[in-house]
Amino acid sequence: MLALQLLKRNWRSGELKLLGFSLILAVAVLSGIAIFTDRLESTLINESNSVLGADYIVRGSQPHNSEWTERATSAEIRQTQSALFSSMVFAGDEMHLASVKAVDIGYPLRGQFEISRVPFAMNTSDIDIANGIPASGEAWVDSRLLPLLKINLGDKVAVGEFELTVTHVLIREPDSASPFSMTGARLIMNIVDLPKTNVVQPGSRVDYQWLVASDNVPQLKQFIDELKPLLSKHQRLVDINSAQERVGRTLQTSKQFLLLSAVIAVLLAGVAIAIAARQFSGRHTDQVALMKSLGASAPRIRSLYFSQLFLLGVISSLLGLVLGSFLQQIIAVSLQEAYQIRLGPASIYPYALSFVSGLMCVVFFALPALWHLPTVPPLKILRRELAINVTQVWMQAALALFAVLTLVILFSRDLELALSISGALLAVIVSTLVIAYGLLALSKKWMVQLGGFWRLAFANLQRNRGQSLIQILVFAVAIMLLFTLTIVRTSLIEEWKVQVPDDAPNHFLVNIPPDELPQVQNLLREANVRPEPIYPMMRARLTHINGVETTEEQRSTSNALRRELNVTWSEKLAADNKILEGQWWDKWQRKETDLPGVSVEIETATEIGLKIGDKLQFSFGGLEMHAQVASFRSLDWRSMRPNFFFIFEPGSLEGYSPTYITSIYLPPSQKSFINTLLHDHPTILLMELDRIIEQIRSIVNQVSDGVLLVLWLTLIGGCLVLFAAVMGSIAARKQQAGLLRALGSPRQLIVGSICAEFAILGGLAGLIAIIGTEILLISLQTFVLKTPIQPHYLFWLISPLSGALFVTGLGYLGCRRVVTTPPAIVLREAT
Amino acid sequence: MSVLSSQVSLDNATPSATRLEPMVQANAVTKHVPTQEGELTILQPISLRVNAGESLAITGASGSGKSTLLGILAGLDVPSTGDVILNGTNLSQLDEEGRAAVRAQNVGFIFQSFQLLPGLTALENVMLPLELRGDKAAQTKAKEFLQRVGLDARLHHYPQQLSGGEQQRVAIARAFASEPRILFADEPTGNLDSSTGARIIELLFELNRAQGTTLILITHEERLAQLCQRRIEIAAGAIVSSKE
Repeated sequence: MLALQLLKRNWRSGELKLLGFSLILAVAVLSGIAIFTDRLESTLINESNSVLGADYIVRGSQPHNSEWTERATSAEIRQTQSALFSSMVFAGDEMHLASVKAVDIGYPLRGQFEISRVPFAMNTSDIDIANGIPASGEAWVDSRLLPLLKINLGDKVAVGEFELTVTHVLIREPDSASPFSMTGARLIMNIVDLPKTNVVQPGSRVDYQWLVASDNVPQLKQFIDELKPLLSKHQRLVDINSAQERVGRTLQTSKQFLLLSAVIAVLLAGVAIAIAARQFSGRHTDQVALMKSLGASAPRIRSLYFSQLFLLGVISSLLGLVLGSFLQQIIAVSLQEAYQIRLGPASIYPYALSFVSGLMCVVFFALPALWHLPTVPPLKILRRELAINVTQVWMQAALALFAVLTLVILFSRDLELALSISGALLAVIVSTLVIAYGLLALSKKWMVQLGGFWRLAFANLQRNRGQSLIQILVFAVAIMLLFTLTIVRTSLIEEWKVQVPDDAPNHFLVNIPPDELPQVQNLLREANVRPEPIYPMMRARLTHINGVETTEEQRSTSNALRRELNVTWSEKLAADNKILEGQWWDKWQRKETDLPGVSVEIETATEIGLKIGDKLQFSFGGLEMHAQVASFRSLDWRSMRPNFFFIFEPGSLEGYSPTYITSIYLPPSQKSFINTLLHDHPTILLMELDRIIEQIRSIVNQVSDGVLLVLWLTLIGGCLVLFAAVMGSIAARKQQAGLLRALGSPRQLIVGSICAEFAILGGLAGLIAIIGTEILLISLQTFVLKTPIQPHYLFWLISPLSGALFVTGLGYLGCRRVVTTPPAIVLREAT
Repeated sequence: MSVLSSQVSLDNATPSATRLEPMVQANAVTKHVPTQEGELTILQPISLRVNAGESLAITGASGSGKSTLLGILAGLDVPSTGDVILNGTNLSQLDEEGRAAVRAQNVGFIFQSFQLLPGLTALENVMLPLELRGDKAAQTKAKEFLQRVGLDARLHHYPQQLSGGEQQRVAIARAFASEPRILFADEPTGNLDSSTGARIIELLFELNRAQGTTLILITHEERLAQLCQRRIEIAAGAIVSSKE
């Protein structure tokens, strides 16, 4: 096969090496990140799903449709069910309103029950992984239920009309993340015993859960997509993102950042590919003319070159895939050692996508530069000055932009990310044209006053204005992408560290009775545990807005109207809350003396359609209460502190008998404090967030480590681009310098003019790059990463300086032989 | 052989020449190119015939239209008016693909600047036209011709590792390896010193005789022009003299 022969020869001659290496790098970075992200995502989702107990849960006030069971079975999707309700549990004369969970065989589908024979067990040796669910007639209970009911293991408790033997205490269970609505101690029983209790009657408040899971992700996704329209308005689908927003958001941000890195790396490699392809095409014009003079037809030339390019694309993509797999394996192994996390296997999707992306890079970045080759006239072999129709630069740029857009959408499936990057690229192109063209035009006037090598450098830039603009554009894009990635990485990691500091609260104490509050505070003080602010908490339902009762339709669309919410009052605005509209209590004045103010969380307010001044009516367990909207607040759910949708004016809820809530930080060494606390105050409900925090921290650490490697690879991509762009113009510079040397110009003048020319190019590119970087960052932070926008003053200095230094360095390295080699040799090589 | 100026009719060709098969025949070919100042005439109407196995030297000053004429005769370019018939095929009636096919079947080239591909070895440069034809014995034939031009020890050298004379010998081997019926040479000794040039001329004509190839060459060198059976001189796009 001649194309293969030619490919081998062209590779050997070095003409394809830059193109090949750029392609390998592009696919290696893409596949490395795509495979790693896929593995990390599936592992973390699996891990997170074990917190949920399933991949998806359908929750509702009615049992799920039995037809769905058959559908799930035929789709080979695992399923089970549970029912949650509050019920009085009796033991002799003692009773407690427990949160009962009746579970079916197979529960949980993800994760496991941790049980013990020792109440409040902390030592791992005392804790067992349950091998199933409680047998019929048995119950597993929260440790705190034992002191509450004054019972021991082996004693009986009655749920409704049925007695169950308490065989184990429950240490940890999946799907325990919503204890705010169920403040009683947990009791787990077998669902077959549920009818015997007779507690579930028509009208009873029962939360039925249907759990599904499958390792066949696409099939599960299809099943869920088909299921969604069948859900009634009383049912809702819960996945890890909706169940654990904090983990979901961190995971999403991490994924977006990794993808952003991948896209930037590909973009840089793409630019290098385009430059390398242009150089290759330039060198092959004569070869094509020769082959055509020897009788090769245009279709034959097209087939030969396109076959070479295709073969190069396939081989480089495969090599890139191997390298990418190797790279991600290095990260995976280091993660395994550092965080004891074993990543699962990746799906075929990232491999296929990366391979296709390699071919896309060939088609959109390299092919346009070679497109005109078959049209090179054979007469060019005799008349070298003959003009040829090269594909227009703007056409190549448009194709490259299209490729970028397609690649970003393919990888991130995020239109905002794609538009942000494409928009910034367009901004850079426009800035380049305006600034660089303007400055080059102005420099015509300055040139006259300049002397020595500066004058020569500006003259060169003027003479090759088109080429200079392209070089500035390429340098600017490379610098912009590198700075963007560096700044985003730094700010993200800083933001994560701020959000989840080492002493972030990791336990919530809920349902603290008012009369026990002083003792609890004492206990915390004695144990040196510093609580976050303590909030009173009540459950209330919003029933009327401006005197009109909420409709069924409103309730179906708003979570806040559908269920009881936790509300509080507070004098001080929490640090992570921010007033967006209206006034906080220090400035707010009541319009009516008997109408206290309420501050509403902004997303809830938007969802319900509230305005400042609206009059709301709440029901506190049947007691009516009126309030007027005083302000809208933003709050940060990631802060690990108690947060509320509605905060009332201080004193306005006196007489509504609240319980209290706070969050505390307990280091692992002090975990046994929980035993003391719960033993003395069994009505307190404890929410252990340390697992979730650990999970977020683990994601952050993993992503930070992985991204560091990606950043290095991207840097290599950037250098490759700069190197390719410098080398692209080196032949002409060598020829000119050789001529100047031959005419007796001093070495300093030649070196000086080369360095000055590259310094001007690099400096201008740096200036344009920082403009592009700021635009890209504003877009990314506003629409994609949702992080605060801030200017980067230091980079306005660093960017032009580093651009000038780096490009000058590369340029000097490329041209240094010009002044050390005899001019005759330089001229002969150049021709 | 018959060489006819624009004023000389084909009917005036010598009786002996008419018995021979014409390899290249140009009938009143002209070449005009548009410029900003108007249309520029590069070639006046030119007619000529070169028979199989004969050699023709085209001489003339720089810019006289020699290379344009060579390009048109070889099918690399198309005339503005007139016909070129190469080995019985009227090139004017063919598109570029058709002309390429005719070139592949009939034509070989030698250039002043050698036109060797810098990334390929001497052997690979010679193999290229054979490979383009799909010749399975490309390597064997290329080796054989490199041996014939005395470069069997330089098969795997790259052009930049060869002297000017050696590079032109590789180019000659490449031209003859595909066994063309007609060879076009554009100042084949133009880039060489006189002694190297002399050896190249000797080699060129030796191979030409052995292969029975028709030869059309452009040269400034009197010695080379004299070795050809015919010569024409071009000035301002017209044949100003022809000698046998």
